[in-house]
Amino acid sequence: MHPADEVLVARYVEEADQAAFRTLVDRHQERVFGYLRGMVKDRDVANDLFQETFFRVIRALNKERGSYTRQGKFLGWVLRIARNAALDHLRARKKWQDLGNGDDGDESAWWDRLPDDGPSALESVQDMEEADLLKACIDRLPPEQREVVLLRHESDLTFREIADMTDCSINTALGRMRYALINLRRMMEEAKRLEHIPASD
Amino acid sequence: MHNGKKDILLHLYGEATDAEELRSLLRDEELRREHAALSEAKFRLDHLKRERPDPVIMDRILAAAAGEQGLPSSTDRKDRPAVARSARMRKVMLPALTIAAAILFGVAVGWFSSQPGTAQVDEPAVATAPDDIVPPESLYRFVPPQPVTPASTQDPRLAWDDSAPLMDMHRRIESMRPEGMLDWGEQAVPLESLPGSGSRSLQLTGSNKN
Repeated sequence: MHPADEVLVARYVEEADQAAFRTLVDRHQERVFGYLRGMVKDRDVANDLFQETFFRVIRALNKERGSYTRQGKFLGWVLRIARNAALDHLRARKKWQDLGNGDDGDESAWWDRLPDDGPSALESVQDMEEADLLKACIDRLPPEQREVVLLRHESDLTFREIADMTDCSINTALGRMRYALINLRRMMEEAKRLEHIPASD
Repeated sequence: MHNGKKDILLHLYGEATDAEELRSLLRDEELRREHAALSEAKFRLDHLKRERPDPVIMDRILAAAAGEQGLPSSTDRKDRPAVARSARMRKVMLPALTIAAAILFGVAVGWFSSQPGTAQVDEPAVATAPDDIVPPESLYRFVPPQPVTPASTQDPRLAWDDSAPLMDMHRRIESMRPEGMLDWGEQAVPLESLPGSGSRSLQLTGSNKN
């Protein structure tokens, strides 16, 4: 039986059990890294932010900063730290705009907020594997929709937890997820359609 | 969002478990199409391969947790960009300033050479005396210094200075010079020893012929 996160945290903090901390990091590395990678769209930057996140975790657990209150939500706490690190990075590069809580339900203008940095995901579709194509489509989602997809699929948070973390209502989180799925499906269909168009040369 | 669509999504992700509720939702044609569309996209997302950080990152984190590697403090992190900025200043600004200074120097030289006064000084030397151009090989050849003509041999008179009184005065001065050889800094000599001291115009101090 695998010990719970709280047990491992207690072993590391009270007994300096390095193996317990290693287990914690191993257990959650994909959830945290997948989220960061999807947010910043760059593996090297995601590596840096991942390291920074766990450095902050170590400092906090060693009581330099006491934000962890052992409420049984270790992953959520770590993801909150990771999110702050990612948003700091994105804000510094002006690639993140803080939104309201989104309770007005207006998601209709999402095309207007599509990030426009880098080549279109659909341009080089013929050279892509399906998984790469899907990742490229995720990267093209509006940031708030992309974040919900990442937190749900990479980090395995529930919609309630996502709503808490992103400071919005659960209806807004669900709405963003729904639009994200619809848009992903549309982009994938478009990509498949382009895949069958012969190159014009 | 429509409650039916919200519930469809919750069922799709396993956060609502009432099977009877789902069946009733799917009796609606629009909700059934919605469920099918969302399921397809979700299926693709579920099968995405997950990524892991680089092993070296994991090693650093575990070393930091074991206290083997000092964690950078928050103040250290704040200082880092300033160092980067100064390094960037050195790397970018210095070459830029050097280039700008070179351009300014070139502009200044061009401006001075284009001034009327400087241009007119240079042009006659080239245009009117082509024979005076020194061949390049002469630059490496020893040229002995030319003997300087003594000033005494030259006629110090100016062309217009030829009136009779001036000519007379000049002759008198010239007749005094070879014998007197007096100049600034030389030892004083009695007036009697000077040429012409016996003339009427000179007499000893204190003597009175009258």
